[in-house]
Formats: sequence, C-alpha cells, structure tokens
Amino acid sequence: MEAVDNLKTAGIQKKKRIFSKRNITLYLMILPVVVWYIIFAYVPMPGIAIAFADFKVSGFKGWVGFDNFKFIFNLKFFWQSFFNTWVFVIYNYIFGFPAPIILALLLNELRHKYFKKFIQTISTLPNFISWVVVSGMWITLLSPSTGYVNYIIKALGGEPVYFLSKASMFPALFTFIRIWKGIGYSSIIYLAAIAGIDPELYESASIDGATRLQQSWHITLPGIKYTVLVIFVLSFTGVLNLFEPIYVLKNPMIESTAEVLDTYIYSMGVVQARYPLATAMGLFKATISLALVLLSNFLSKKLTEDNRSIL
Amino acid sequence: MKPTVSERIFNIAIYIFFVAFCILMLVPVLYVLKKSFDVGSSGELSLSLIPKQFSLFYYRIILNDRGIYRPFLNSAFITVVGTALSIFLESMGAYTLSKRDLPGNKIFIYMIIIPMMFGGGLIPYYLLIKYLGLMNKIAVLIIPACISGWNMLLIRNYYFSIHPSLSESAMIDGAQEFTIFWKIILPLSTPVLAAISLFTAVGYWNTFFSAILFINDPKKYTFPVKLREMIIVQQEMQRQIESMLIQTGEDTIRKSLNTEGISSAMIIISMLPIILIYPYLQKHFAKGIMIGSIKG
Repeated sequence: MEAVDNLKTAGIQKKKRIFSKRNITLYLMILPVVVWYIIFAYVPMPGIAIAFADFKVSGFKGWVGFDNFKFIFNLKFFWQSFFNTWVFVIYNYIFGFPAPIILALLLNELRHKYFKKFIQTISTLPNFISWVVVSGMWITLLSPSTGYVNYIIKALGGEPVYFLSKASMFPALFTFIRIWKGIGYSSIIYLAAIAGIDPELYESASIDGATRLQQSWHITLPGIKYTVLVIFVLSFTGVLNLFEPIYVLKNPMIESTAEVLDTYIYSMGVVQARYPLATAMGLFKATISLALVLLSNFLSKKLTEDNRSIL
Repeated sequence: MKPTVSERIFNIAIYIFFVAFCILMLVPVLYVLKKSFDVGSSGELSLSLIPKQFSLFYYRIILNDRGIYRPFLNSAFITVVGTALSIFLESMGAYTLSKRDLPGNKIFIYMIIIPMMFGGGLIPYYLLIKYLGLMNKIAVLIIPACISGWNMLLIRNYYFSIHPSLSESAMIDGAQEFTIFWKIILPLSTPVLAAISLFTAVGYWNTFFSAILFINDPKKYTFPVKLREMIIVQQEMQRQIESMLIQTGEDTIRKSLNTEGISSAMIIISMLPIILIYPYLQKHFAKGIMIGSIKG
C-alpha cells in the first residue's frame, strides 16, 4: 500500500514538473532541430502572403488581393506547364509505380541466390548517382550521331532518332529514365515485405498444385498489399516536385512538353525576379499537393478493411 | 519433385528477362566508361564496350583543368561537414522524440510532419535565404539541408527497439539523459546511423539544386554544378560539330574532335566516390530502409 502511494506521489510530482532537470536536458537536445524547423520550414510559410501582394526586389508595395492569381491564370505557359506536370505524374503512376513491384515479384522468383544479389546490386546503383550524371549519361547514350541507341537503330536499318529534341517523346523518355534510376531502390521495401510472408503458405499452395504464377498472384501480391498502399499514399507527398530531373534533361527545343510547374516557378521567380507571380504559382502547387495527400489518405482509409489511415 | 513444362518455361522466361534487365542497367554506365577511355574510335561507332585505343587522354585534359579542383573540394567539404552535423543533430533530436512521456513530445512530432505535406514554396524560401545573408556562402549548402524529418523518425524508430532496461539501469546509477544518450544509446545505434549517414553523404555529394539557386561564384560551385556546366558546353560543341558536318558533308572534323569523351571522363570522376563506398553502402542501406519501414 505504501509502495503504491509512493508511486502515485512520484507520478504526480513528475506531471507537475514539466521543467524538471531531466526534461530541460531533453528540450535542450532537440533545441537545434526546433530552431532549424522554425527558420527553414515555418518562417517561409507566412511568406505565402507575397502571393497577394505587390512585391518587388525593392520591397513591399501594398496588397492586391487575387490580382496575381488572375494574372497567372491568364498565362498560356502556366497552364501548359500545369498540364505537363500532370502528364509526368500520370505516366509515373501508370508505369513508374508498378515497375518496382513487378521487379520485386520477379526477383522473388529467382532461385539463384548470387544472381539475385547481383541484380539487386546493379539495379540500386543509379539511385545514388546524381540526376546531373544520369542526364549526362543518357544524353550521351541517346545522341543522334554518336549514341549507342541510334547505332542499334541504324544497324537495324532505321533512321536515327533525335530523342532529346523531340517534344512528343520527352514524357515517355523521362518516365523511362526515372524508372531506370529508381527501380532497384524502390523495390527493396517490397522485397522486405515479401520476405515477411509466411513460407508455409507457399508450401501448402504448391501441395495443392498451384503454379508459381498463381502463387505470386494469390499469396505474394496480397501479402504485400498493405505495403503497396502505404508507399502509394506516401508517394503523393512529393509527386509534383520535379525540378532537378527535369531541369537537367530539358533543352529549349522540347520546352512545350518539358516545362513543368517547378521549372516555370523557378524561371519566373528566380530568373525574372517576379516574386508575387511565382509565389502565387507555388501556393497553387502546394494546395494541390496537400489536397492529393489528404485525398489519398482518405482513400486508403476506405480501401482497408479496418479503416487504417496512414497519416 | 520434377519441374513441369510450364514451370520450366517460367524459369527460362525469368532468366531472359533478367539478362535483358542487367544489360539495360549496366550498359549506360559501361558505355560512358568506355567513352572516357577511348580515343581510337572517336566519332565512329561500334557496339563493343571495349575501347579501341585505350588512353587516359581525356582524364589528363580534365585533371589539367584547374577549374575542377575547387568544385571537387567544395563538394568534399560540404559532404564531410554536412554529414557530421546532420547526424549529430538528428540523432540527438530523435532521442528527445523517442521520449513519449515528455510533455510536448506530440508537438515536436507534428512540427516535423506538417512541413512534409505543406510548405511556403520556392520563392518565400529563396527570399528567406537572401534576408539571412546566406547567398553565395558555402554554409547555404550545408545548414538548410542538415535536418530531415524522415531520418529523425527513422532513428527514433530504431531507438524504440533498444531495450529500455539498459537506460533504466544507467538511470539508477545516476546517469543523466545526455550521458545515457551519448554513452549507451548512440553506440548501440551504429547500424541505423551508418545507413543514414551514407544517405546523407550521398545527398550532400550530389548537391545541385541549392547550389544553382544560391551560388553564383564559380569558386563556390559544387561538383555537380561544374559537371553540368561541362556537359552543356560539350553538348553545344557537339551540336556545332554536327551542324558543320551536315554543311560540309565530310567526316574529317569528327575524327579530330570528340567532346563526348571529356564529359564521359568527367561523369566517371564524379561517380568515383560513390562507386568506392558502394560496397559499404550496399551492406547498410537495405537494413537502414527496413528498420524504418512500416510493417506490412
């Protein structure tokens, strides 16, 4: 009884003293992180107000309401870059999202351990190479006169193709290069999920006469369903962020399909210093991003039996 | 059990797929590697990945160019300093985040999660850097990139897997929180810290976006920015050569000039540090992702 009382008073004391010596140490330990977040993440947030102001390099000139938005919504190039962004996003979900899942499923079928390891090693390497290098590589590879790909096309009797100068080809090409860079790395998480599936399920299935294809369709795929869903929802957080990969691959000839919101905001804001317009575009983009994340989270709640939300 | 016919076809199909996959993954790298060494077949094409005439000519040209040493050292500097700072702050912050009984713990978690979904956008951020006076300073490449919410949550998750009895016994012996963190938790979390420091180091080594945004002084360029500049220059030269070839219709100029070799050599040099740490990287990163992954 006495012990219980002691525990109780200790608990109350702990609750009362938010700034105990121990807590202060802990607060101090996270202080640099908090300061960093305030400066680099939270201070820019009210900066959104620039979207509603007349703001020049020289400073603030007064509020203008939605005039900046009206202006950008009348820009043809704005809608073009908006449309292009969506093309990349949609291509990414149709081709880019399933690709690492398929790779993981196929890797799972490889019985040769060292070959599997070798594949994993070479497929994850491009993830660690910068976009600048990746773009340099593919520019060399796709070059019309000296590139490898065109050599093969010519050898097969075709006409050389100016891949990176053809606007119509760019979305597909970009999606391909993006998959090339990320596929191995993204598949790791699915492989980890596959490794967690109970092996007995496969045993009993093969006794029942299920082929390997049937096994991966009826056991492996449902087994990683939840992981796929989590990655799907999380993938929406940065889906409109395309600056670096697009910037290093685009050239003036393919602007009509390669310009995305990010690169347009960059040239409007940083290159031309038209801050309010670029901020308005940024706010437009951020709102869509947030809506996408919330929507996908809502959908995942609906789709899972036990209404699990991921965020 | 004897494999059935369909099983065999399935196996063969998978091996064919993976051989094709290997070629697709490896050829771009090997092709650039070949180009960087090859002076013999400049201009003319072949399917071979072995240089016709092996030479370090292009590497010598690059290493003679004084302009690449500064960017290389800059990148090396921000990588080392940035990674050390980042790991120190993140692991320390994550320790506080892992104390669920701490008043305000939830607030810290929200503080990290909200910016993952919503931010001020590029221009307010750009103006902030300007007002902070960080423009054109090496620090702008280090400090704004040194904290990652994902990484902190990952480290925090790992801390949860360390048995609480260890820190409890230290507490009874009179150790303070910082001592427990420094002497017990930190040494026990080397696997996750190794993985995260490698990710962070690769990120710093590849710094490009913030460098083109905030750095104008060529002396403060990072290596990827310099590389980009060189690739663009090569491309321009290549284009000029091509248009000249079309005009004159002869092949002589092509033989004397092969600008792609230089950019190829540059690409290989920039990949070198990553290739060198790759075996080490390989060992740790898969584990690192899985530690933080959500159980399926």
